[in-house]
Amino acid sequence: MKAISTEDRKKIETGLRAKYVRVAITPEKDFQYPTGEAGLKGQHYDPNFLRNLPHDVLASYCGVGNPFTLGPISEGESVLDIGCGAGVDTLIAAMMVGPEGRALGIDVVPEMLERARENLRKTAFDNVTFQQASAEELPFPEGSFDVVISNGVFNLIPDKEKALREVFRVLKSSGQLRMADQVLTVAPSDDLSSRIDNWAG
Amino acid sequence: MDFLAMLNEAGFVGFELVRDTGFNSSPVTKGVLIRARKPDVEGRLTVPQNPMETYDHFFSQAYAPGSIDVKTKHLIALAASLGAGCQP
Repeated sequence: MKAISTEDRKKIETGLRAKYVRVAITPEKDFQYPTGEAGLKGQHYDPNFLRNLPHDVLASYCGVGNPFTLGPISEGESVLDIGCGAGVDTLIAAMMVGPEGRALGIDVVPEMLERARENLRKTAFDNVTFQQASAEELPFPEGSFDVVISNGVFNLIPDKEKALREVFRVLKSSGQLRMADQVLTVAPSDDLSSRIDNWAG
Repeated sequence: MDFLAMLNEAGFVGFELVRDTGFNSSPVTKGVLIRARKPDVEGRLTVPQNPMETYDHFFSQAYAPGSIDVKTKHLIALAASLGAGCQP
Protein backbone atom coordinates (compact mmCIF):
# COMPACT_ATOMS: atom_id res chain seq x y z
CA MET A 1 0.00 0.00 0.00
CA LYS A 2 1.20 3.50 -0.84
CA ALA A 3 2.49 5.30 2.27
CA ILE A 4 0.05 7.76 3.87
CA SER A 5 1.35 11.33 4.03
CA THR A 6 1.38 13.32 7.28
CA GLU A 7 -1.35 15.55 5.89
CA ASP A 8 -3.55 12.57 4.98
CA ARG A 9 -2.92 11.00 8.39
CA LYS A 10 -4.13 14.22 10.05
CA LYS A 11 -7.20 14.17 7.82
CA ILE A 12 -7.97 10.58 8.89
CA GLU A 13 -7.45 11.34 12.57
CA THR A 14 -9.55 14.52 12.45
CA GLY A 15 -12.36 12.76 10.64
CA LEU A 16 -12.34 9.80 13.00
CA ARG A 17 -12.30 12.04 16.04
CA ALA A 18 -15.25 14.08 14.77
CA LYS A 19 -17.24 10.92 14.10
CA TYR A 20 -16.47 9.23 17.41
CA VAL A 21 -17.18 12.34 19.47
CA ARG A 22 -20.74 12.04 18.14
CA VAL A 23 -20.76 8.28 18.82
CA ALA A 24 -19.63 8.89 22.42
CA ILE A 25 -22.76 10.98 22.97
CA THR A 26 -25.36 9.08 20.94
CA PRO A 27 -24.06 5.73 19.74
CA GLU A 28 -27.50 4.58 18.63
CA LYS A 29 -27.85 7.53 16.25
CA ASP A 30 -24.39 7.85 14.80
CA PHE A 31 -23.04 4.32 14.71
CA GLN A 32 -24.25 1.93 12.08
CA TYR A 33 -22.89 -1.12 13.92
CA PRO A 34 -24.42 -3.10 16.79
CA THR A 35 -25.05 -0.75 19.72
CA GLY A 36 -26.43 -0.89 23.22
CA GLU A 37 -28.04 -3.87 24.89
CA ALA A 38 -29.52 -5.09 21.64
CA GLY A 39 -26.06 -5.07 20.08
CA LEU A 40 -24.56 -6.96 23.03
CA LYS A 41 -27.28 -9.62 22.88
CA GLY A 42 -26.99 -9.86 19.11
CA GLN A 43 -23.26 -10.57 19.43
CA HIS A 44 -23.90 -13.15 22.18
CA TYR A 45 -22.21 -11.42 25.08
CA ASP A 46 -22.55 -13.50 28.25
CA PRO A 47 -25.62 -12.24 30.17
CA ASN A 48 -23.96 -13.27 33.44
CA PHE A 49 -21.54 -10.37 32.97
CA LEU A 50 -24.00 -7.94 31.40
CA ARG A 51 -26.34 -8.11 34.38
CA ASN A 52 -23.57 -6.63 36.55
CA LEU A 53 -23.47 -3.40 34.53
CA PRO A 54 -26.05 -0.59 34.73
CA HIS A 55 -28.38 -0.23 31.76
CA ASP A 56 -27.00 3.17 30.80
CA VAL A 57 -23.49 1.69 30.68
CA LEU A 58 -24.70 -1.12 28.42
CA ALA A 59 -26.46 1.48 26.26
CA SER A 60 -23.08 3.03 25.44
CA TYR A 61 -21.75 -0.15 23.79
CA CYS A 62 -20.78 0.01 20.15
CA GLY A 63 -18.81 -2.74 18.46
CA VAL A 64 -18.68 -4.99 15.44
CA GLY A 65 -18.38 -8.36 17.17
CA ASN A 66 -17.60 -10.15 20.41
CA PRO A 67 -13.86 -10.77 20.98
CA PHE A 68 -14.64 -12.68 24.20
CA THR A 69 -15.89 -15.61 22.14
CA LEU A 70 -12.31 -16.24 20.96
CA GLY A 71 -11.02 -17.69 24.19
CA PRO A 72 -11.24 -17.56 27.96
CA ILE A 73 -9.83 -14.78 30.10
CA SER A 74 -8.74 -16.02 33.51
CA GLU A 75 -8.63 -14.47 36.95
CA GLY A 76 -5.42 -12.64 37.62
CA GLU A 77 -4.66 -11.88 33.98
CA SER A 78 -3.86 -8.49 32.45
CA VAL A 79 -5.98 -7.39 29.50
CA LEU A 80 -5.52 -4.43 27.15
CA ASP A 81 -8.51 -3.16 25.17
CA ILE A 82 -7.33 -1.20 22.12
CA GLY A 83 -9.82 1.42 21.01
CA CYS A 84 -11.94 0.90 24.12
CA GLY A 85 -14.48 3.59 23.24
CA ALA A 86 -16.99 3.88 26.09
CA GLY A 87 -15.26 0.97 27.83
CA VAL A 88 -17.93 -1.73 27.90
CA ASP A 89 -15.54 -4.47 26.72
CA THR A 90 -12.92 -3.24 29.21
CA LEU A 91 -15.42 -3.45 32.07
CA ILE A 92 -16.41 -6.97 31.05
CA ALA A 93 -12.72 -7.96 30.94
CA ALA A 94 -12.34 -6.45 34.43
CA MET A 95 -15.02 -8.78 35.74
CA MET A 96 -13.27 -11.77 34.14
CA VAL A 97 -9.81 -11.01 35.57
CA GLY A 98 -11.12 -10.24 39.03
CA PRO A 99 -9.43 -8.17 41.74
CA GLU A 100 -6.02 -9.83 41.22
CA GLY A 101 -6.00 -8.92 37.52
CA ARG A 102 -6.26 -5.68 35.62
CA ALA A 103 -8.05 -4.33 32.59
CA LEU A 104 -6.75 -1.31 30.74
CA GLY A 105 -8.54 0.52 27.95
CA ILE A 106 -6.93 2.96 25.54
CA ASP A 107 -8.47 5.25 22.96
CA VAL A 108 -7.39 8.27 20.90
CA VAL A 109 -10.68 10.18 21.33
CA PRO A 110 -10.77 12.11 24.66
CA GLU A 111 -14.56 12.31 24.62
CA MET A 112 -14.80 8.51 24.40
CA LEU A 113 -12.42 8.17 27.35
CA GLU A 114 -14.52 10.60 29.37
CA ARG A 115 -17.56 8.43 28.66
CA ALA A 116 -15.57 5.34 29.68
CA ARG A 117 -14.50 6.95 32.97
CA GLU A 118 -18.08 8.01 33.59
CA ASN A 119 -19.17 4.40 33.04
CA LEU A 120 -16.45 3.15 35.39
CA ARG A 121 -17.67 5.51 38.14
CA LYS A 122 -21.04 3.70 37.95
CA THR A 123 -19.36 0.44 38.98
CA ALA A 124 -17.34 -0.63 42.01
CA PHE A 125 -14.43 -1.95 39.96
CA ASP A 126 -10.97 -0.88 41.11
CA ASN A 127 -8.93 -2.92 38.63
CA VAL A 128 -9.64 -0.76 35.56
CA THR A 129 -7.74 2.13 34.01
CA PHE A 130 -8.53 4.22 30.94
CA GLN A 131 -5.91 6.33 29.20
CA GLN A 132 -5.36 8.15 25.95
CA ALA A 133 -2.94 6.33 23.68
CA SER A 134 -2.54 5.19 20.11
CA ALA A 135 -2.14 1.55 19.09
CA GLU A 136 0.83 2.67 16.97
CA GLU A 137 2.74 3.74 20.09
CA LEU A 138 1.67 1.72 23.09
CA PRO A 139 3.01 3.29 26.30
CA PHE A 140 3.65 -0.03 28.04
CA PRO A 141 6.72 -2.18 28.66
CA GLU A 142 7.36 -5.32 26.67
CA GLY A 143 5.44 -8.34 27.90
CA SER A 144 2.79 -6.43 29.86
CA PHE A 145 -0.41 -8.22 28.90
CA ASP A 146 -1.82 -11.76 28.72
CA VAL A 147 -4.53 -10.77 26.25
CA VAL A 148 -5.08 -7.83 23.91
CA ILE A 149 -8.62 -7.35 22.64
CA SER A 150 -9.96 -5.00 20.01
CA ASN A 151 -13.46 -4.44 18.68
CA GLY A 152 -13.89 -2.67 15.36
CA VAL A 153 -10.68 -0.66 15.65
CA PHE A 154 -7.90 -2.00 13.47
CA ASN A 155 -9.74 -1.03 10.29
CA LEU A 156 -9.38 2.59 11.48
CA ILE A 157 -5.64 2.51 12.24
CA PRO A 158 -3.52 4.19 9.54
CA ASP A 159 -0.36 2.09 10.14
CA LYS A 160 -1.71 -1.35 10.93
CA GLU A 161 1.68 -3.04 10.60
CA LYS A 162 3.19 -0.74 13.20
CA ALA A 163 0.23 -1.29 15.52
CA LEU A 164 0.56 -5.07 15.21
CA ARG A 165 4.28 -4.88 16.03
CA GLU A 166 3.36 -2.88 19.11
CA VAL A 167 0.70 -5.40 20.14
CA PHE A 168 3.25 -8.18 19.69
CA ARG A 169 5.74 -6.28 21.84
CA VAL A 170 3.41 -5.67 24.78
CA LEU A 171 2.01 -9.21 24.85
CA LYS A 172 3.57 -11.75 27.19
CA SER A 173 5.01 -14.93 25.72
CA SER A 174 2.11 -17.08 24.50
CA GLY A 175 -0.24 -14.11 24.96
CA GLN A 176 -3.07 -13.67 22.49
CA LEU A 177 -4.56 -10.97 20.32
CA ARG A 178 -8.32 -11.46 19.97
CA MET A 179 -10.20 -9.06 17.74
CA ALA A 180 -13.44 -8.40 15.93
CA ASP A 181 -13.35 -6.23 12.85
CA GLN A 182 -14.70 -5.53 9.41
CA VAL A 183 -12.66 -6.56 6.37
CA LEU A 184 -13.06 -5.70 2.73
CA THR A 185 -14.40 -8.46 0.52
CA VAL A 186 -13.22 -6.66 -2.62
CA ALA A 187 -9.85 -5.24 -3.61
CA PRO A 188 -9.36 -1.72 -2.20
CA SER A 189 -9.58 1.21 -4.59
CA ASP A 190 -6.34 2.30 -6.24
CA ASP A 191 -7.43 5.89 -5.67
CA LEU A 192 -5.75 6.74 -2.36
CA SER A 193 -7.54 10.08 -2.17
CA SER A 194 -11.00 8.50 -2.15
CA ARG A 195 -9.82 5.87 0.36
CA ILE A 196 -8.62 8.65 2.69
CA ASP A 197 -11.98 10.43 2.36
CA ASN A 198 -13.83 7.21 3.17
CA TRP A 199 -11.49 6.48 6.10
CA ALA A 200 -11.96 9.95 7.60
CA GLY A 201 -15.67 10.24 7.18
CA MET B 1 -0.50 -6.97 2.31
CA ASP B 2 -3.55 -8.67 3.78
CA PHE B 3 -4.14 -8.66 7.53
CA LEU B 4 -3.17 -12.29 8.16
CA ALA B 5 0.10 -11.65 6.31
CA MET B 6 0.66 -8.59 8.55
CA LEU B 7 0.18 -10.80 11.62
CA ASN B 8 2.78 -13.20 10.22
CA GLU B 9 5.21 -10.35 9.56
CA ALA B 10 4.77 -9.03 13.10
CA GLY B 11 5.83 -12.41 14.48
CA PHE B 12 2.50 -13.92 15.51
CA VAL B 13 1.88 -17.64 15.14
CA GLY B 14 -1.31 -19.66 15.17
CA PHE B 15 -3.19 -16.77 13.61
CA GLU B 16 -6.53 -17.51 12.05
CA LEU B 17 -9.75 -15.99 10.86
CA VAL B 18 -11.91 -17.97 13.26
CA ARG B 19 -15.35 -17.14 11.90
CA ASP B 20 -17.64 -14.45 10.59
CA THR B 21 -19.57 -12.32 13.07
CA GLY B 22 -22.70 -12.36 10.95
CA PHE B 23 -22.73 -8.57 10.85
CA ASN B 24 -21.59 -6.82 7.67
CA SER B 25 -21.38 -3.06 7.75
CA SER B 26 -21.64 -2.69 3.98
CA PRO B 27 -22.08 -4.76 0.82
CA VAL B 28 -18.28 -4.87 0.42
CA THR B 29 -17.27 -5.70 3.98
CA LYS B 30 -17.84 -8.54 6.40
CA GLY B 31 -17.43 -8.89 10.12
CA VAL B 32 -14.79 -11.34 11.24
CA LEU B 33 -13.20 -12.64 14.42
CA ILE B 34 -9.43 -13.07 14.32
CA ARG B 35 -7.12 -14.64 16.86
CA ALA B 36 -3.31 -14.72 16.97
CA ARG B 37 -0.72 -15.88 19.48
CA LYS B 38 2.73 -14.62 20.41
CA PRO B 39 5.14 -17.56 20.60
CA ASP B 40 6.88 -18.34 23.85
CA VAL B 41 10.31 -16.79 24.55
CA GLU B 42 12.24 -19.51 22.78
CA GLY B 43 10.02 -19.37 19.70
CA ARG B 44 8.11 -22.54 20.45
CA LEU B 45 4.36 -22.62 20.76
CA THR B 46 3.12 -23.48 24.22
CA VAL B 47 1.24 -26.72 23.65
CA PRO B 48 -2.12 -26.75 25.37
CA GLN B 49 -3.34 -29.79 27.28
CA ASN B 50 -6.56 -30.27 25.33
CA PRO B 51 -5.94 -32.63 22.36
CA MET B 52 -8.39 -30.89 20.04
CA GLU B 53 -6.87 -27.52 20.86
CA THR B 54 -3.42 -29.01 20.22
CA TYR B 55 -4.59 -30.24 16.83
CA ASP B 56 -6.24 -26.89 16.03
CA HIS B 57 -2.98 -25.07 16.79
CA PHE B 58 -0.98 -27.49 14.64
CA PHE B 59 -3.49 -27.19 11.81
CA SER B 60 -3.63 -23.38 11.87
CA GLN B 61 0.15 -23.06 12.03
CA ALA B 62 0.68 -25.56 9.24
CA TYR B 63 -1.71 -23.73 6.93
CA ALA B 64 -0.79 -20.16 7.91
CA PRO B 65 0.58 -18.08 5.06
CA GLY B 66 4.34 -17.79 5.02
CA SER B 67 7.09 -18.56 2.55
CA ILE B 68 4.56 -20.86 0.90
CA ASP B 69 1.14 -19.36 0.29
CA VAL B 70 -2.00 -21.05 1.62
CA LYS B 71 -3.24 -22.29 -1.76
CA THR B 72 0.07 -24.02 -2.49
CA LYS B 73 0.05 -25.64 0.96
CA HIS B 74 -3.40 -27.06 0.34
CA LEU B 75 -2.34 -28.38 -3.06
CA ILE B 76 0.72 -30.03 -1.50
CA ALA B 77 -1.49 -31.63 1.15
CA LEU B 78 -3.88 -32.85 -1.53
CA ALA B 79 -1.04 -34.34 -3.55
CA ALA B 80 0.41 -36.02 -0.47
CA SER B 81 -2.93 -37.51 0.52
CA LEU B 82 -3.54 -38.83 -3.01
CA GLY B 83 -0.01 -40.28 -3.09
CA ALA B 84 -0.69 -42.00 0.23
CA GLY B 85 -3.86 -43.51 -1.18
CA CYS B 86 -6.30 -41.57 1.04
CA GLN B 87 -9.88 -41.80 -0.03
CA PRO B 88 -11.76 -38.49 -0.56
